[in-house]
Amino acid sequence: MAETFVPDPSERINKRLPMPYAAQFPDIIKRNYGKWVDRKFHGNGIIEHISESGESIFTVKVGLPPNSRISVDTLKKIIDVADSYGLKVVRATRGMNVEFITDSLDKAKKIVNVMEGYGFPAGGWENSLWHITSCTAYLTCSTFAVDAPSITKALYDYFMPYFTGEEKLPSKLDIFVSGCTNICAGTLAGDIVVVGHWGQAPKPDPEKIKFCLPTSAEALKKVTPDVAAVCPVNAIKLYAKEDGSVGIEVDDKRCIACGRCKNVCDYFDWDPDKIGVGVFVGGKTSNTGSGPRLAYRIVPWVPLNPPEYREVVAVVRKIVDVWRKNAEPGERIGDTIDRIGLEEFMRQVGVPKSRHNACIEVSWNFGVRQFIKYV
Amino acid sequence: MTISDIREQKISEDDMKALEKLEKGPWPSHVTELKKTKYPIEYYAWGVMHKYSPWYSGSFRVRYVFSGILARRSRDGKVSEVHFRTYSPAGRFLSTAYLKKIAYVAEQYGIGLLEFAGNTGAIVINIQPDKADQAIDIIRNVMGSDVGGSGDTFREFYACPGPALCEFALYDTLAAMDFFRSHPEIYKFLNTQLFPYKLKMKFSGCPFDCAGANARSDFTFIGTWVGAPEVDQEKLREMIKSGKVDPKELAKRCPSGAISWDDDKQQLKIDGDRCLKAMNCIKMAFPAIKPGKNRKIAMLVGSHAQAHYGPRLSWGVALLDDYKEALPFILKVIDIYSNNAPRRHRLADLILRRGFRLISDAAKETLPDKPKATPSSHLRFTTGVVLSDDERVTYAEWAKSLVKDYYGGEQ
Repeated sequence: MAETFVPDPSERINKRLPMPYAAQFPDIIKRNYGKWVDRKFHGNGIIEHISESGESIFTVKVGLPPNSRISVDTLKKIIDVADSYGLKVVRATRGMNVEFITDSLDKAKKIVNVMEGYGFPAGGWENSLWHITSCTAYLTCSTFAVDAPSITKALYDYFMPYFTGEEKLPSKLDIFVSGCTNICAGTLAGDIVVVGHWGQAPKPDPEKIKFCLPTSAEALKKVTPDVAAVCPVNAIKLYAKEDGSVGIEVDDKRCIACGRCKNVCDYFDWDPDKIGVGVFVGGKTSNTGSGPRLAYRIVPWVPLNPPEYREVVAVVRKIVDVWRKNAEPGERIGDTIDRIGLEEFMRQVGVPKSRHNACIEVSWNFGVRQFIKYV
Repeated sequence: MTISDIREQKISEDDMKALEKLEKGPWPSHVTELKKTKYPIEYYAWGVMHKYSPWYSGSFRVRYVFSGILARRSRDGKVSEVHFRTYSPAGRFLSTAYLKKIAYVAEQYGIGLLEFAGNTGAIVINIQPDKADQAIDIIRNVMGSDVGGSGDTFREFYACPGPALCEFALYDTLAAMDFFRSHPEIYKFLNTQLFPYKLKMKFSGCPFDCAGANARSDFTFIGTWVGAPEVDQEKLREMIKSGKVDPKELAKRCPSGAISWDDDKQQLKIDGDRCLKAMNCIKMAFPAIKPGKNRKIAMLVGSHAQAHYGPRLSWGVALLDDYKEALPFILKVIDIYSNNAPRRHRLADLILRRGFRLISDAAKETLPDKPKATPSSHLRFTTGVVLSDDERVTYAEWAKSLVKDYYGGEQ
């Protein structure tokens, strides 16, 4: 593969269409595309899909490290396993895990064994923990508040039996961990969503904030710079100083710690001791039960103690325990909350009430339900 | 300790030692993976242990490439980190031949590290800055993909596996994603930062919405049907006889009470007018109960996780028979969005500012004969909070008491 290209740099303006999906398929998927009629579960982590032609295919879900950060070394192991026992194709899941695809149950079990030998557990379908999705946070991002991958690791270490199926859950459980209020772990519509936030109003860095401000007060008259324009509550005030430069002030009372200013300007600081995570519970995108919804903010703030994050793990454990105690079979957290009531759920979790978690129950009617006339 | 004190603190042995704790535990560790690569792990260790960002955003540019390249620099200015977002095939099926090329790029041009399943749908490869130009050429000419999907443009689209691997797919999600991504009118926006903020499209094959389209895409496509699910009474009776399905449970779990079980005739009745497409019954009694035959695609707009006014779910627009019908509507909405939205406002922010009329007028014009939705909206959400010192103490104590319950006295 040692090809060298010496193109004219200006040729780089020519974009390239990504590879068509069909080029990646093994023959069995090409033959049975859209013809699957039945499915069977073979323990946790293996699904059999049966085609109308009678052929069947097995998918094996294997957990990856938090944020699916893998080294080339690990990638080569995955390639090797897919080549030896699979159909030379894998699938990256939405939950940051990997699915192997193969054509017999024996090979599927072999994949489970080999991957578990490498330290990557198989599991996560039906009534279990499907995934804990994490954003990249301290690994490659500059706007985050807390480190999502290490929190994810701490949570996975405890919840692994729920992934592999040793411990049973009433229904599917999705957990998302985001490092900041941008929620890059994907969505606020998850069963349990852990969102890092600053818990305080930002403080402009006295020396460096000037890089985000116009150089002269004259310019302020013409345009509002991004750093003030992005604030949804107008908490950031820019003003002309006497010497003709621009000053900045953040109103603590108005600030909602949404972090939008940090998105456009790096030179805001936060006190690390006030940083924490909020825990949101009971959302989902699926239309089952009471339909798609965003999660409720049940716990507004949990302190962080790296690298074990015991407080965060304990809070999530408590929420899962309360759910398991109350749930009827097949009920996701949101549906359980609907049935027993949000008040009661929060009482059992035991979280102190404040102005930040005074959640309002709303009758939700989202997703494809908006197309059903009688509702 | 003040913030500037923390910032001055040097990377120490203790940080690395503490990080080793993250290598223990049963779940595969990202730290172990990082250590196998040339990633500057001591900066990560310092960040984790000080709860403080080790990175500033950097700027890095490959001439004539406008999207998909992201760069950071460390606070002391000594280390930089560059990564590329690369488009993946629809459904994220990756053949080993393709993966081998990714491994080659990550090894020869990168630091041997990648994010296998990025949340936008992209595969993220960490790249060495001085080889970035060649890396672009290799990704395009050898790997057969392209970098892109960052900044104020179309982000990587995402589709659930759909008909390739799923029994419930009600339309071809993969073909739909490829159709939109490669259509000249959409493709011209790809990698070109022209929008006020990002735009996303996601494709889910059925109301289970495995792509999360309802909550995180500006243009949402979800497969659905009209009327009642299809019931194979014979097969259902068999399933009931073998004890796999309890008909009373089926009726009880239906959120709108559309299901009734006739004990005399041994027949299940589903009222199509009341069916909410919740798929609870299908999940329990598949394949005896299947999605209905009259299949449609629900077109929704305006959900996101990150935006000016906080996270939102999608507003319904219209029921389509084919995904291709949505194209004029999407182009019209892109036009409205580009012309009217303030900078760094998502599509939903514009709708909140100007009213849903913007969208419904566009739908009336471009999708005249399609059944329209009754869009619903919810209250504004904020994800962050500013706590007072008292509140902070209250929650810290509560968390501490839980830790004591679960971990015992040892601290």
